[in-house]
Amino acid sequence: MAGPGLRILALVTDAFGGNGGIAQYNRDFLSALATCDRVEDVIVLPRFSARSVGSLPTCVRQLRPVESKLAYSFAAFWTAVRYQPIDLVFCGHLFMAPLAAVIARALRVPLWVQVHGIEAWRELSAPQRRSVESAMMISSVSRHTRHRLLQWVGIDPARVKVLPNTVNPQYHPGPKPGYLIDRHAASGKKVLMTVSRLAGSEQYKGHDRVIRTLSRVLSHHPDTIYLIVGDGDDRLRLESLAVECGVVKNVQFTGWVPPEELPDYFRLADVFVMPSAGEGFGIVFLQAMATGVRVIGGSQDGSRDALCDGAIGTLVDPENCEELASAILAVLDNPARTGDRTTRFKPDLFREHLNAVHQSFSVQWRLARGAAVTARAMSVSNAFSSSRQD
Amino acid sequence: MCGIAGVYAYHYAANAVDRGELRRIRDHMAARGPDGLGEWYSQDERVGLGHRRLTIIDLSERGAQPMTSADGKLVVTFNGEIYNYRQLRSSLEARGHTFRTQTDTEVLLQLYAQKGEAMVHDLRGMFAFGLWDVEKRALMLARDPYGIKPLYYADDGWTLRFASQVKALLAGGNVSRAPEPAGWVGFCLFGSVPEPFTTYQEIRALPAGSTLWVDRVGTHETKQYFSIADAYCRAEARSSPISDEDQQHGAREALLDSVRHHLVADVPVGAFLSSGIDSGALVGLMRDAGQQEIQTVTVAFEEFRGMREDEAPIAAETASRYGTQHTTRIVTEQEFRNDLPKILEAMDQPTIDGLNTWFVSKAARELGLKVAISGLGGDELFGGYPSFRDVPRWVRTLAIPGQIPALGDLTRCVMTGVFSQSLNPKAAGLLKYGGNYAGAYFLRRGLFMPWELPAVIGAEIARLGLRRLDPIRHIETLLKPKPRTSFGRVAALESSMYMRNQLLRDTDWASMAHSLEVRVPLVDVKLLSQLASITARNGSRSKHLLANSPRVPLPPKVIKRPKTGFATPIQSWLQRDNRIQEWRRVPALAANKCAWARRWAFQVSAARAAA
Repeated sequence: MAGPGLRILALVTDAFGGNGGIAQYNRDFLSALATCDRVEDVIVLPRFSARSVGSLPTCVRQLRPVESKLAYSFAAFWTAVRYQPIDLVFCGHLFMAPLAAVIARALRVPLWVQVHGIEAWRELSAPQRRSVESAMMISSVSRHTRHRLLQWVGIDPARVKVLPNTVNPQYHPGPKPGYLIDRHAASGKKVLMTVSRLAGSEQYKGHDRVIRTLSRVLSHHPDTIYLIVGDGDDRLRLESLAVECGVVKNVQFTGWVPPEELPDYFRLADVFVMPSAGEGFGIVFLQAMATGVRVIGGSQDGSRDALCDGAIGTLVDPENCEELASAILAVLDNPARTGDRTTRFKPDLFREHLNAVHQSFSVQWRLARGAAVTARAMSVSNAFSSSRQD
Repeated sequence: MCGIAGVYAYHYAANAVDRGELRRIRDHMAARGPDGLGEWYSQDERVGLGHRRLTIIDLSERGAQPMTSADGKLVVTFNGEIYNYRQLRSSLEARGHTFRTQTDTEVLLQLYAQKGEAMVHDLRGMFAFGLWDVEKRALMLARDPYGIKPLYYADDGWTLRFASQVKALLAGGNVSRAPEPAGWVGFCLFGSVPEPFTTYQEIRALPAGSTLWVDRVGTHETKQYFSIADAYCRAEARSSPISDEDQQHGAREALLDSVRHHLVADVPVGAFLSSGIDSGALVGLMRDAGQQEIQTVTVAFEEFRGMREDEAPIAAETASRYGTQHTTRIVTEQEFRNDLPKILEAMDQPTIDGLNTWFVSKAARELGLKVAISGLGGDELFGGYPSFRDVPRWVRTLAIPGQIPALGDLTRCVMTGVFSQSLNPKAAGLLKYGGNYAGAYFLRRGLFMPWELPAVIGAEIARLGLRRLDPIRHIETLLKPKPRTSFGRVAALESSMYMRNQLLRDTDWASMAHSLEVRVPLVDVKLLSQLASITARNGSRSKHLLANSPRVPLPPKVIKRPKTGFATPIQSWLQRDNRIQEWRRVPALAANKCAWARRWAFQVSAARAAA
């Protein structure tokens, strides 16, 4: 790699100023990457940025977002040329991997691809597969995503490392906030909660399964409310379902809530439940557990990582409503808070691990480059000696 | 010879080692080590090593494993035998190392302390081990150059698990059972699963002659420290003309040296004996090496009594010549039927072979043997297979037409279209594959051709598996660097494919199921380095070097007997077995002239899919 300090070009969907799990992950990742040994400059080119970027970590520069696909591709090439020399191309989403691979190949620098969730679970398109196979390092947010990706790509599994989500300090234990108790008339009530987007394309989250289970929960704990935090185009379907199941009085939709209120929302809950079948990881589980709330998640996806195979939360088969109901009742019967159980997911451990992975990656790249140089030298030498024999 | 296991929760987010899981993995291998068991855990419970022991060297409790170095900085769990451990020990003692036991295991620890990872180059023998370096906080896995001893690992991204058997890793309960298409495709193409693949996506074989480091970052890429093709290249480079007499003398000395090393044990060492040259010559050399009492065992079948296929009379003659205590063990159809479920259970990875080894190992164990010498590897070393003639011949003939783009595919399509089921699938692939060594070898050893796979294992798994395995390229990688002689090329392929993935693996599971250690003096790196230049020069006429090595000559019948392979009536027994009839639903397999191995492979695939 060139020079003493490294310059990294990061192609991402969104990061600083973005909403949602992937933006959060990219922020955490890029902030940590900027602190890795020898990293001097991280240039971030996002496609989206919903709100103001705010202050950026040292060594990180985020360029203006470019939404159009075509314009983004040009912008990526232009950035790669303008900010020469680039030492590493980081690609924050599988969809951008073909573009990132072409740029990395043109610059003759290594490619690092990040995979998150369901985008890597199904058979990849040929350009995506080839791009991933050309990457020197692939980081995955969970073991599950890593496993699913390896079904489709022919690479040495040693090149795919797991870098899980991390949880920030604003999520910490605390009492149920009075203003939210008032807002949701939750005084004296048990609160089940799910926090997520309500997107029609993400029905796997399992709100409907909780709603279907609610009548059984109410038969044991009639003072329970189910708070659905988040908004989206699937809300109408869920509202109808609550009516159909006869639990509409016990289901509240909060709509979108500002990020600064989220920790308090988690503190309001007695049980955070999201029996999802499609989580890449499920950062909301960490956020909930960091506030001391007990959590229930699905056992068939990346939630296993967030709940550490059931060591810090309860895993249920998301398709099994009986199991889900029993798990909810078990927590409601014994609702004691647990304190922060996410110490193993704190940012300092994430940073330390990322630094170790990055160092290992650098060694690997140097070795690969050394081998390529040797091979080229040998082929030149062979050509020379055979031409002499001729 | 033992069973080894380990769990390393290397990722910061992973749960600590689950002791119950490690014990389940370890104890699934109870038959590999019935004489003792052990476990070791690091203080922080991030690392656990397990061991099942079959006592052969230093029978005392001091040899128990996992073994920790005197300073507590190294811990090892080891399966195998280091045949030169006494020499290594002497040289370590000369450098000031002191030993607490008489075991080869302790030599591993001290050698690592002395040389680090480079230690593997000094080891002569069969081995697979996991060594935990406390100061580095890293685990080293290593496997012998030929891959005699197995070692499998599963890395889920947080935790690494390893064991001597695939099924043991599954028994732990935390390893995914998702199928690996490349493993299934490889099995159907070759009759055994080509490493590093297994039939499970998450489980990989550590390739023969490789090491693997695991640290807090996870698994690193495997590092190959030995290649058979490279050994032939080196031998060819230093080859110089020598007389027939000197060749024979050199071969005898090298063979005797290997046999002598393979007799190191604190329990009696017996031998498998057939009517062939390989096992007979080894028994003769065991005598020459000074072994007084030798127990030999031959498997025979009532159906073959008095027929040409019956190995028992000639084996008995060899035994009599070398004065061994000989046993001929008759295997009946009833016994086979009774054992079949146990065989399928013990079969660690799907295979089309191993049944003979099962019975001869069973017989040896019944005689009280813990260790037996086998002639495995003789055909690879001395060019005994037809492939040594056929592959170079095909390549010479087809090299030019094979280079015409698309001609091979076109011919194959036309031939399969015109002749349909009546044509041998390999004939259709002759032009496509026969023009280079990798392709011609594939044709010679192939069980099914790629275009047959959808009917055998399903279109989707065939498509994904072929893409990932890329069989011809897979074979080509085993010829890097490429030996100059055709003998060297075929020998490297036979040793790195058929012998490694089929013969050695089958010998391991089938013998270990009876708690028997099988030693293979003809599969030895030192021997290879001494003989490769001679055999590469003599080509497929090299077998006489082995046949003429014992001081007391083999019976003439053994030497003159044409090579037949080990015949058994097992095929007809299987064909009559009502439990094994699913192959009849695939037209290509139901055809009268279909080879039994193809039906058996399909049957094994179907049974696994159902499970």
